[in-house]
Amino acid sequence: MGKMPTLVLILLTFGTSASAAQPSAKATAQRIDAVLASELFNDPTQLAPRSDDETYLRRVWLDVVGHIPTPKQATTFALDPSPDKRERTVRQLLQNPDYGKNWARYWRDVVFSRRLEDRAILAANAMETDLARWLNESQGWDRIASRFITASGDVRKHGNTAIVMAQDGRTEEMTAEISRIFLGIQIQCAQCHDHPYDRWKRNQFHELAAFFPRVGIRRVNDMALRSFEVYGSDQARKRPKKNNDRRPQPEHFMSHLDDPTAKGTKIQPKFFLTRQTLPLGSSDAHRRSQLADWLTDNDWFAIALVNRVWSELVGEGFYEPVDDLGPDRKATAPKAVKLLASKFRQSGYDLQWLFQTICQTEAYGRESRPRRKADETPFTANVPQRLRSDQLMNAAYSALEIVESKGGWSNRERRKSSRQRFAEIFGYDPSVSRDSISASIPQVLALMNSPQVNRALAANRSSLLGRRLEAIEDNEPLIVELYLRCLSRQPTDEELSLLLTYSEEIGDRRQAFEDILWALVNSAEFQHRK
Amino acid sequence: MNLQHHTNIALRQNQVVGRRDFLRQLSAAGLAAGACNWTDAISASADALRSRGMACILLWMQGGPSQYETFSPKPDHKNSGETRAIATRVPGIQIADNLPHCAKVIEDLAIIRSMTSKEGNHGRATYLLHHGYLPMGSVKFPTLGSHVAHQIGDAASQLPSYVRIGNRLANSGGGGFLGVDYDPLILSSANRPPENTTPTTGRKRFQRRLQLLSSIQTGFAQGPGAQVVADQQKIVASASQMILSPSMAAFDLEKEPRKIHANYGEGDFASGCMLARRLVEHGVTFVEVVSRGWDTHQDVFSRTRDLTTQIDQPMATLITDLKQRGMLEKTLVVWMGEFGRSPSVNARGGRDHYPKAFNAVMAGGGVSGGQVIGKTNAAGAEVVDRPVTVNDLFRTIYHTLEIDADEENISSIGRPIKLVDGGKVVEELFE
Repeated sequence: MGKMPTLVLILLTFGTSASAAQPSAKATAQRIDAVLASELFNDPTQLAPRSDDETYLRRVWLDVVGHIPTPKQATTFALDPSPDKRERTVRQLLQNPDYGKNWARYWRDVVFSRRLEDRAILAANAMETDLARWLNESQGWDRIASRFITASGDVRKHGNTAIVMAQDGRTEEMTAEISRIFLGIQIQCAQCHDHPYDRWKRNQFHELAAFFPRVGIRRVNDMALRSFEVYGSDQARKRPKKNNDRRPQPEHFMSHLDDPTAKGTKIQPKFFLTRQTLPLGSSDAHRRSQLADWLTDNDWFAIALVNRVWSELVGEGFYEPVDDLGPDRKATAPKAVKLLASKFRQSGYDLQWLFQTICQTEAYGRESRPRRKADETPFTANVPQRLRSDQLMNAAYSALEIVESKGGWSNRERRKSSRQRFAEIFGYDPSVSRDSISASIPQVLALMNSPQVNRALAANRSSLLGRRLEAIEDNEPLIVELYLRCLSRQPTDEELSLLLTYSEEIGDRRQAFEDILWALVNSAEFQHRK
Repeated sequence: MNLQHHTNIALRQNQVVGRRDFLRQLSAAGLAAGACNWTDAISASADALRSRGMACILLWMQGGPSQYETFSPKPDHKNSGETRAIATRVPGIQIADNLPHCAKVIEDLAIIRSMTSKEGNHGRATYLLHHGYLPMGSVKFPTLGSHVAHQIGDAASQLPSYVRIGNRLANSGGGGFLGVDYDPLILSSANRPPENTTPTTGRKRFQRRLQLLSSIQTGFAQGPGAQVVADQQKIVASASQMILSPSMAAFDLEKEPRKIHANYGEGDFASGCMLARRLVEHGVTFVEVVSRGWDTHQDVFSRTRDLTTQIDQPMATLITDLKQRGMLEKTLVVWMGEFGRSPSVNARGGRDHYPKAFNAVMAGGGVSGGQVIGKTNAAGAEVVDRPVTVNDLFRTIYHTLEIDADEENISSIGRPIKLVDGGKVVEELFE
């Protein structure tokens, strides 16, 4: 008993010192807004107003946890009078395990959209599971990135092997992806020639690749499962193989441009951003952990991450596309991105801090407007974003109260889960500029006509609509409920009167409401976050 | 699916970079959202459309078909194992006795016996023989069919320009950086209509729903959703136009007379070939028909015989059928897999992967049939005459379809990518 106060005191002290080191999310958000205003907003009247509660709630749910709120949650939030309800909601959502899951799925798409071979998919479940856990444990982004860079082990069990597996253990390909994903630098353009418009040189790419020659993948066959394993090897090979195959070799060689079949030049590991080097002969473990330390300690590392998250949340990155930052590109708001990146670094690369900060900015909280034209000022409004496959599926499943069947991702046709099949139609590469992402014909066909969707929309005893039709006798409250379910908002007066008229004209109440629900699920508003 | 052609024209004529920009332009041209009729849009810029009427059917043998047991038998060498060769209608050309029907249409087939590559891994080789490039994390290359759809897709057609029959195929790719408009429409079977193209309600109710959908979108369309609603309404319009169009009958094999069914024979591949012809007839530009199971590490002789029984008659009938309808001149048929199989027979009576020397077949589209290109040595292990690389083959395919293989597209990070990097047209095919 007597020891308790001391313990509490120690914990408190730790708590205080940690939060003293960590910049305040609120203050940072305000500074970001101020910097944006001074950098960009000459005319404050061009700014979109603050979004209403309904819009903000659906937005923040989709952005943080990848789901839409239930009608009850939407109503409770709207009725809550407390002034800090928005930031409190963000904090609560970050405590929800779906936060980790949502963002693990985002990164899964980032990594596997660029897979060299489809069999790499067998590493997707482990990545989703492990990364979701690390995110929910609030591990720092530096620690998470290091895990991916230094990964080894069975790809079905170790989620951090995802990037190496997606790149088939090939030295140059994994080098390119690690640089693209964690630094936002597409240095592989210099793989074959000096970069046409960036200042990177060909040898700088190969010096980075020289951190990875000892990494490879190989098959592992236990009785039950076929899998692959990422491994590092410091052994010399009996038969030297050419570059970029998927087995390890002691050193990296840069091929000669005029004689690609020759062995090429042996290259020493050197990190192009800081010019730090390691000696030839260094072990695989040393090479990769050293690179991970240097890379995660670099400004580009923080900038790449805050740019990605900002782009996802505010609708446009400081740099677009989000994985091609430089060195000679100009940010749309250089001071703001620099400030956000340095504070993120100060926070200990704390992703939850970053979400809290961005979600509290005025830039995030504004109403949406259509994507701006090139000559218009950025960040004067949020932008409607097309839902990623997982968000859309979650929204549909919760709006229609469908229970998800179990199962993960597989490279075998028969073992694919409904979520993976959904992703095959609705998935897109999150690194690509959202400007170029829009609905496709297979997507609209699936939502309009697929038997699964239409079974869920049908008004019968086992369906949501069937139950609600029985429970709610009047048409008006039923329309309101369907709007809350699908769009997390009340219908406008026009919409209400339109749909009341529609249901009267159709006569058959069940048919009329099947049509209404069908139209809501097929609407662009349902498939976007405002 | 007609969207793709519009994008195409927009790209070429006005240097518009994104599809969305183009949709915007369309709106500016006064095409009301929801009421947009693609045929009108097409006639508005008909001169820009260059539909040449060329088409391509790719018969893809997944797993790597054995050249010894198909079009490159070696009857006088021990490597031939159990396989015998038969004479064809062209004196001097022999093919494996597994392909008696193909032997009868040899006058239309050009056999390339000197295909050579370095990729002996299914995934990478399937990718290579579909894209003409090896996979790269940083560039999402479009697959062959997507490029062809992008270049010469028939704008007047209400059907998609690129259809793949036989389910999803790993590493066979899609539209890549050209965008989802150029992804193939995938049919799991030739005997079923494409997924989700049949409204679950009657036609009248479906149209009523479309009306309702359009009217509830007004609110969002007047606010932040102005672009996205307009884009979506156009896609909904063209998708529903497609599924309600009479052209959908192209997917219905029941419409083929019994005699034609009999000519193609039994089985999925036979249905696939018949459907391919129907689709090309109805304006589809690129059809891929997939046959699986060619990875014969065991019992290569009996298994290949089973497989050739499934493809021989349909492939020969396809050629004859196209010819009788006057379509062969404008339809290139390509038969290939990702690599060939090893000269020696392993302990399990199978042949292993062999990319060094394999074969491919081309017919139609102006290719002179009844000839053999290239040669391997007596054992079939080495190409000794006229090696044809994958790039050569791709360049030749584009050349046949009157597509400029040196045309550059811009990848998503602004890098120019040619349809084919290097390679030479196999000129002998057209002599």
